[in-house]
This record gives sequence, structure tokens and C-alpha cells, in this order.
Amino acid sequence: MAEKTWGNYKEKKRSRPLPLKGIRVLEVCTLILGPSGPGFLAMMGAEVIKCEIPPMGDTCRDMTPFGYLFKGCGPVFTHNNPNKYWLGLDLHKPEAKKVFLELAANSDIIEENLRPGVMESWNVGYRQIKEVNPGIIYLAKNGFGQWGKYAAENRPSNDGASQGFSGYAWMSSFPGQPPLKSRIYPCDDYGGLMGEMAVLAALHYRKRTGKGQYIELSQSENIMRTMSWVWPYQQITGKTAMPAGNRDVSICPADTFYCADGAFVAIAAPAPEEFGGLCKAMGRPGLAKEPRFKDHLTRLKEDNAAEILKIIADWARTRTAEEIEEMAEKHGFAASRVYTVKDVTEDGHFQERGFITAVDDPLLGQYRSYEFPVMMSKTPPKVKWSVRAVGFDNEYVMAHHLGKSEEEIKQLYQCGALGKWADVPGRRPPDGWDGKAGLNVAEDGKEKEQR
Amino acid sequence: MDKEQAWSDWIKERDDPGTAHTKPEALDDITVLDLSYKSFAGCYCSSMLAEFGAEVLRIEPPEGDFIRTCTPYGMLYKGEGLNYLTEGRNKLHITLDLEKPEGREIVKSLASKADVLIETYRPGVMDGWGIGYEQLKKINPKLIFASITGYGQFGPMSRSRMPDYDNIAQARSGIQSGTGEVMPEGKSYDECPWAVPTKAGPWIGWAQPGTFMAVGIMAALYWRWTTGEGQALDVATAEAYARFDDFAALWYEGAGVAAERFGSLDTAAWLYCFAPTRDGAVFLGGLRLEMWQAFADMVGKWDEWGAADWTNLTVFTEKEQQLKWAPLVFAETRKYTNEELVNMSIEYARKGRLAPITPVVAPVCSPEEAMKDANWFDRGIFTPVKDPVYGELIVAQAQHKMSETPVRTKWVCRPVGYDNAPVYQKYMGFGPSKLKKLKGAGII
Repeated sequence: MAEKTWGNYKEKKRSRPLPLKGIRVLEVCTLILGPSGPGFLAMMGAEVIKCEIPPMGDTCRDMTPFGYLFKGCGPVFTHNNPNKYWLGLDLHKPEAKKVFLELAANSDIIEENLRPGVMESWNVGYRQIKEVNPGIIYLAKNGFGQWGKYAAENRPSNDGASQGFSGYAWMSSFPGQPPLKSRIYPCDDYGGLMGEMAVLAALHYRKRTGKGQYIELSQSENIMRTMSWVWPYQQITGKTAMPAGNRDVSICPADTFYCADGAFVAIAAPAPEEFGGLCKAMGRPGLAKEPRFKDHLTRLKEDNAAEILKIIADWARTRTAEEIEEMAEKHGFAASRVYTVKDVTEDGHFQERGFITAVDDPLLGQYRSYEFPVMMSKTPPKVKWSVRAVGFDNEYVMAHHLGKSEEEIKQLYQCGALGKWADVPGRRPPDGWDGKAGLNVAEDGKEKEQR
Repeated sequence: MDKEQAWSDWIKERDDPGTAHTKPEALDDITVLDLSYKSFAGCYCSSMLAEFGAEVLRIEPPEGDFIRTCTPYGMLYKGEGLNYLTEGRNKLHITLDLEKPEGREIVKSLASKADVLIETYRPGVMDGWGIGYEQLKKINPKLIFASITGYGQFGPMSRSRMPDYDNIAQARSGIQSGTGEVMPEGKSYDECPWAVPTKAGPWIGWAQPGTFMAVGIMAALYWRWTTGEGQALDVATAEAYARFDDFAALWYEGAGVAAERFGSLDTAAWLYCFAPTRDGAVFLGGLRLEMWQAFADMVGKWDEWGAADWTNLTVFTEKEQQLKWAPLVFAETRKYTNEELVNMSIEYARKGRLAPITPVVAPVCSPEEAMKDANWFDRGIFTPVKDPVYGELIVAQAQHKMSETPVRTKWVCRPVGYDNAPVYQKYMGFGPSKLKKLKGAGII
């Protein structure tokens, strides 16, 4: 059956439609919380126009692992901004505000992640935009939302601040060690994703009623949602929820173990048949029948959990990670080596599914990237093209979307409303650009596909 | 335009979660069947839809979903596991035995009336029961059939016998490997068992794929408006979580470097770290050069550190530079409490040399401190839900503030089979005697 639904998915991707075709999004976003969401919509076919303040644009262009630029672009930036159109528009300038409102009048969604009230102070806030487009869906994302104590103090925020504020980092550490910051930006990315949940629900509502709306979210408030049991636990027990390292205190056994070959393996086997399988794999089938381990709720109790995890840890030290994976497959419990990014990229399964996808970009060339992770049998989302320099698509957007003449565009440059990149790494096009590759051309008002 | 009113007041009047119950719901025309089993990803996904107003029929086997037993330290509250208690919200709970042919016939009938079906069984299980996508689409071509599993519906590992759990998804994503404390020089695993690849504590390897699927479902619903067609959706939890690895894939692709653990510093950014203080730790953020300069100034090191001469933030991101500067920064932050440092940054935004530019300073809180922070409480995150079964309970909610169709938590959870009578009456026309018969036969 899977074959009928999913056969040749990777190949069919090229010719199939995208689910959000026809939706237009304007983004005034920087870093990750802001741009990641419109990036998701763009991979699903929405037309996203990213407005950056020229000539430096999005601060995320500077985020480089130990200073490394990928083909002349910041990798964090490249990851989060696929399939977009690039507009260098200085919203401080009155002429730029006018252009923005013209674009807003023809858009479905606006997303920004500035501090509260900034768009309003530029006269391009929700109250101004809904006058020209009452159906607009407007999403504002930031650290603390639009109102409340911290918003009123105008505090800045980052993902790391949210990891701290929410208790997420606290819960993601080893007991007795200081709270640990994640290597990724979970609060930004998750806030970005949750924003699109609300935006698409609002779009559904607009289809039904014609009504647009305003949506705001805080990255801290969103990551708190993922912390599940922590809140009722604290309410009910009056105690602080405590971290447990790699051990999952809600699933037993579930932990990460150190193996004979120095590798780490994650194991989970809570359901009766899974736990029985693990005990058999360890050569101790009788364990599953012992009273202290007999059912999941009993096994989860602190002392019992500590004992079974110790037994598994001692056993895992005598096996390689690969051996444990093989036994898990045979006995029906779950195990996985702790994959590095190399393992993920080189994994044949992820490649065959097209999650590891080959991008062929006119500016950045060929490279492998992570695909949008929801596979859709009839409308497969995909990374089509990569990031561009600040203001790269100015002419296209002005001519194609707003019907501006060459003379009008020239004037917009002269007054500083429109601008292009600064001649610095991460802002300008990659070295060797021929001045043409990747440019979109509007012809007779008809859209020409990205070359 | 009512411009005279301050923006924050104007918008609060319109999107304060306290007024949510007076407003319509975005998805109250959508019916969802949630057949997920042993998967919090499935429950989380259907919660997303239920919060926006969809009618979600949560279908469990007669003995209840195993996921209800996945609760910290084996703790139950009024008979319920604490995780399930937070994500049973707004769903109607019914039971049905899918192992029995009669049970599958009932699912087919329900599916003919549904918009979305969510399931988390191993690939092939639903097909084997005759209720897979290809079979159900014959009954209902508009159905959106959403599967969330560890390895997805196709590809070599999709045939794996292994079940899907949060810690496995986190391990497989490539993210755990690069997160954690660095092993101190000359030390071994046995001496420092905390200096290892470290997963996130919360079930992000389940919540996030569930959310991705909910977003995919919304896109599929949008496409259905134009074409009238349903489709099948496939999320593999490890892939979904891996997508959040913002720089590692391209760093590896371009430079062949696999990101390694860097403690609470940040491989891709400076100033961006947790820093120890007199009473705990703070997060410090300064992703623009001026913010890093403002930090130096704020702690009185403008001249000594030569901050006026800094011209490029990128050089500070390099590993050697970070390892050189971090101890200098920590020596300063150790002089203050969390509160003092936070206040210094707010003050700096008002009066500092580079004001209004200021570094981001945020306390690293315990979740108890977070829950007591009036800011979040005032914004409706921890408003207790008055649940008819479980009483007043705090679950995180209201994370979206929306002017027209706000999310809301109407109830937190329901016991197994709680809604059998009304749901089977409404959808199947089964009265009490028929239900009794089905129950007797072990079908519901």
C-alpha cells in the first residue's frame, strides 16, 4: 500500500503542485524566530517577500559557526530562508512605507518580529494595514508579546533568553550541573512553527468568513507548552520539577547509554512487549516478571527506575552501539545510536525519503540540505532555491507586483526607500556571480519561474 | 482609525485570552479522528487542532492508550498520568477495538464523516486492518490521512519493528550529539558522566513533530478548498526534529565539520551564552556588535577591553576567541546576582553610552520560578482550567493570542471512554442498548 501512495515520491516532487500556491506573505523578520515561519510557508508554496533594511539586512546573516560562511552565506540564515523573494526596503523612509502599504494591500499574511509597537511607530502597523486590507492576517512574534510587564519594559530577547526564562534549559540538564543551553535554537524555531499553525488556522477562518485577524506570540510562552507534565506536577506537589539528564522520568526504561565502543545509544522499552524484548536481549528474561519491574507504573517509581537503568547501563557497556541497534530490531524495542550530523546526512534512509535533498541553486550551486519534514502525497513541499543578497529581487517585486515603471523604481532608489546589499560577506552575492543568475524577470505582467 | 489609544492597550483589549470564550473558533467546521497509540506526537498534533476548535474524536482501545501510563515517577493524579492530562484537552474520548472487524467497520463509518485522521501505528498496520489511506480514500476521497512514526511510511527503515519514542527521535536527529558539556581535559566518562551528548528534557522530539504535522494538515486543508481532494501526510519524528538544526547540515556539507558539544556557549554566535552569577546563571545575548560593546560598557570594561576599537563581531565567534573571552565575561557576571544584571541591562537601555542599545540579559529560571512569574500569569499562560473531572488544573495554554479566533482550553482531559454515549449517538446513531451490546462484545 505504501508503494501506491509513496512510490517515487522524490521524483514526483518536481512535477507536483504545492499546497499554498497563491498565498502571498510579506515578512519583516530577522534572526530565527521571525524568518523560520515564513520559510516553512515558502517551502509549501507560498510566495514570501522578505523585506530587509538595506544595505545590511537580517542580523542572522552574521550567524556563522566559528566564523564559517557556507558559499558566502551564513548557514543559519540559509537554512531558514529558502524560496523567498528579496526586497531591500528601508521602512524608516516615507516612500518605503507607501510601497509597503501597496504590497500589504495585495498580501494575505504579514509577519514581523520587531519589538512591540515598532511597526506601528513606522505607520505600517496592524491598525494602518487593516485599513487598506481588512482581510489581512498579521502575525507578530517576539520575546514577550505586545503587552504585559516585560513588553512594557521593552526588553529585548533571544532564543537563549527563552531557554532560560521558561525553565526549558533547567529541565534539559544533568542533576547537580548548571542549566545547559541547547546547541540549537529550540524556542525560536518552535515559536516560528507555532506561528504558522495560528496563521493557517486564521487562513481557514478567512476562507469561511472573509475576516482577517491579528495574532501575537512570545517564544517563551510557546516553548512552555512543550514542557507538558512540569506545570501540573508543580501545582499538585508544590515542588520544583527537576532535571534528570538523559533519563526520561515519564518513560521507563528510556535513557542514553555508554557503549563498549565509546559510542552512545538511546534505548526505550516501556510497553510490556518492548520491555520483555529488552530483558531477553540482555539475556535476563526473568527481569520482566520481577515485582519491581512488572508493569510500567511500578517501574517508573524512583528506586525501581534507578535499578533497571543501572542494569541496562552495565549491560550496554559490554556491547557496541551497533549490536544494541540490531538486538532492538530483533526483539522489538527502540534503540538508536546518538547520530552526528554526518550520520544524518549520510543516512541512506533519510536520503531515500528525500529528507536529505539535493538543492541546485543558480547562485549557491549544488548542495544537500534538510527538506521540509512533512511529506505530502499530492502536494510535496520542497526547497526550491536558496538565499539571496539584500535587495536582490527589488526590480522584480516592484515591476511584477506593483507595476512600477523604471523611472519610478529609479526614484525609489534615489530617495533611499529601495536599496541593495553592502559589499560585505554574507550580504553581497556569492563570489563569481555573473550579475544575472537567479534573477527573476517580470514579462508582460506574467510571472516567470525562478531560473 | 482609533489612533489615540496606545497600541499595547488597544491590542490587549482585542487579544487578551481572558475574553477567548466570547469569540468564534477557527476550525469548528472540522472533524478529526485521532487514532494515535503510544505516541505523544499524535496526541499533541490533535491538541493543536482541538485548541482551534476542531471536533476531535480521540479513539483509544478499550483499556486506554498506553501513553496515559507515561507519567513522571509513575505519578497519577485522579487516576491520570500527568503528561496525558495536559494534552487530552478539548477532545472527545471514545473507545474502539481495532483488532476486531466490527471495530474497523465503525472506523470506516466515522472516517466517511471526518476531515482528518491521525494515526501513529507502525507502517502497514492500518493497511493490514483494511483502514489504511488507500482503503479509506475510496470511502472518503476528501480525507486527510496523517501518519506520525519514527521512520516514516517509506524508505528502508520504515519496515523497522522498532517503536517511536521521544528520546530515540532526539538521538537520531543529530541534535543531541552536539548538545552538552565538554569533557574536561584528562577526565573520563566515569568521572564526568554529565559531559555527554545531552537531550532536551521536555518531549520536544514528540511535541515538535506533532506540531509540524498539524501545520501540514492545515496546508492540506487549504489545498482541499481548491481541489476537493484529500491526501496522505507522513512525518518521521527524527526528521522533523532534525529540521530545527539550524546550521549543522550546511556546516557539514560545506566544511565537513560535524558540530560538537560546546557547553552553554554557542557555536554560531557571540555574545550568546549562559553565564554564572552569584545566585545562578543568566543568558547573555548580543548578536550585534553594538550589543556586545554595550555589555562591556555595562560591566565597566569599556576601556580595559578596548570596546571602542572593535569593528567586527564575526571574529569573536571563532572558537579560540570565544574560549578566550568567556572566562573574562564570567568573571564579571559572577560579581552580581541575576536580578542585578537584569536591572543593569534595563538601566543601560535608558542611560548607557550606547542606549537604547543594550545586551539581552535574562535569568535562567527553574520552571517553578517561571510559573510564579507574574508576567506569564497575566498573559494567561498559567490560568487554571476548571475541569469538570479533574478540578482546577494548571496546564500551559493560550500561547497564541488572536483577535478573532483565539485558542482556548475548554477542558484538560477525559477518562477512557468518557464520551462514548454522546459520540456514538451523534455519529453512528447507537443508542444505550446497542452500546451495551458492543461493550459486552469488547468492541468499545
